[in-house]
Amino acid sequence: MMEISHLSVTYPNGVKAVTDANLMLSPGEIVALVGESGSGKSSLLYASLALLPRGSKTSGEVFLDGMNFLSLPHDRKRQFRWKKISLVLQGSMNSFTPVLAMERQFVEVMQEHLNMKEADAAAKAGELLEEVGLDREFLHRFPHEMSGGQKQRCAIAMALCCNPDYLLADEPTTALDVITQAEIIDLLKRIVKARNMGMLMVTHDLALAASIADKISVMHRSRIVETAERDRIINDPKHPHTASLIRSLRTMEEEH
Amino acid sequence: MKEEIVSAENVTLAFGKEKNYALSGVSFSIQRGGSIAFIGESGSGKTSMLRILLGLIEPTRGRVRLFGKYLDEVDDEELREIRRACGYIPQDPFGGLPPTLTALEAVMEPLVITRLNVKKTRRERAKELLSSLGIGETLWNRKLIQGFSGGQRQRIMLARALVTDPKLLFADEPTSMQDASTRMDLVNLIRGHRRRGMSLIFVTHDLLLAKVIAERGIVLYSGQMCETGHTGPLLKDPLHPYTMALSAALPRLGKPIEIKTKRRPLPPHWKGCPYFSLCPYASDRCHALPPLKKIGDDRSVACFLYF
Repeated sequence: MMEISHLSVTYPNGVKAVTDANLMLSPGEIVALVGESGSGKSSLLYASLALLPRGSKTSGEVFLDGMNFLSLPHDRKRQFRWKKISLVLQGSMNSFTPVLAMERQFVEVMQEHLNMKEADAAAKAGELLEEVGLDREFLHRFPHEMSGGQKQRCAIAMALCCNPDYLLADEPTTALDVITQAEIIDLLKRIVKARNMGMLMVTHDLALAASIADKISVMHRSRIVETAERDRIINDPKHPHTASLIRSLRTMEEEH
Repeated sequence: MKEEIVSAENVTLAFGKEKNYALSGVSFSIQRGGSIAFIGESGSGKTSMLRILLGLIEPTRGRVRLFGKYLDEVDDEELREIRRACGYIPQDPFGGLPPTLTALEAVMEPLVITRLNVKKTRRERAKELLSSLGIGETLWNRKLIQGFSGGQRQRIMLARALVTDPKLLFADEPTSMQDASTRMDLVNLIRGHRRRGMSLIFVTHDLLLAKVIAERGIVLYSGQMCETGHTGPLLKDPLHPYTMALSAALPRLGKPIEIKTKRRPLPPHWKGCPYFSLCPYASDRCHALPPLKKIGDDRSVACFLYF
């Protein structure tokens, strides 16, 4: 179980980005954190991994299977990233080194974090690519030899390198075409269920959230204003902000 | 017969040495007050089509007529006159605005250039438009370089495009950076102008948005017209396998996402249906290029499933 408890974030310029956020994520469960730009959803995600810029103030706790992650010293935190909890970023696909083939980039991560031998790491990288629906042959490609969707599959495979229990994803389908987006969403859903991971996905798109998540949390002006099972959020929103989001989507869908 | 605003005849755009086509044989026309959405994903040719219609690039073959005049025949003065009657919202809100102007000046600028409006009312007109898009008084005198979000810049671009009350609006993904709560402000403003007779050419990857904003749609895949028709039926009852996949993949509250594609490699030097590499219904027939076939009063589809 991942538990975010009373998490607040204040940036060096005094802006309070997250106020008293609480969130639970169980193994095998997908929670979508939905909010508009500036709502604080990405800040919450990065704060829970202690990855905010220097000078930001974070208070509250993040428990990973009972262990208080935020209170760990720096080098201990580093041991848990990738292995316990891992990240797929907005535009992950553009975060690969352009000068190395994918194999080298996978091997580097596994050598660094798992002390694996090069040959073993390369073999595992091939398995991971197959798991995300790519041929092993892609190991020999450079990032520019792949489409956006293929690169994003690689980014997901890389996040799985060290068998994490929790996966955090920040807008993992922005900049992808609709059909590719559908494929990536389907892939994430299948992987999370197959590996019994917990996934927290940040998105601005409530309809997209509804298509993948078991549970939805809605964030508005730095606060989580509502959390519920997907169907309850869609059919019976309690907070006025959630209700207005649902209403504007329904108008688009139902109009003739 | 209504006044013709735009007509494109067999527009084709080739690039590279191997004669790849960004667009091939696109034809359509719009009468006064009409609207059309070019629907497709990256690489479909929709933005190239828009740039050809704007006269920014010349087609390899085919011709475009705006307000009854062929773009390849007009002189500079006539082209300027045509452009004065048009509004344009480019795709990139970060490249599309003059950085040294304030938000208000940026919206007034087209009126100054076209001398379309008396000095006194320019400012009022610009303020009114910005307010209706949620850009409030505190932002009016901020320079564009001083920090506006992509979403805000997009709204300023729309105000800038509509301030001259154009007869024809070209909009390239004008709501891509909007949150759900602000998207409808843009949509409603565009619809208001359409009710007053403005014609619209709209480029989007989103069938749902196409349906909300435009009457008719042309679905493009790899530069080919796959399907044309009213946007409602395109979304609800798609005929071409690509339109089916686009509609099924669209995140909606009322419907789970479905994947209706089947990926297979495209044989080398492929001359057949461009959608072959994704189509779940592909067969041997698809090694030839399917022509666009009229199916109903206002519906055409280029797919051998309908032959």
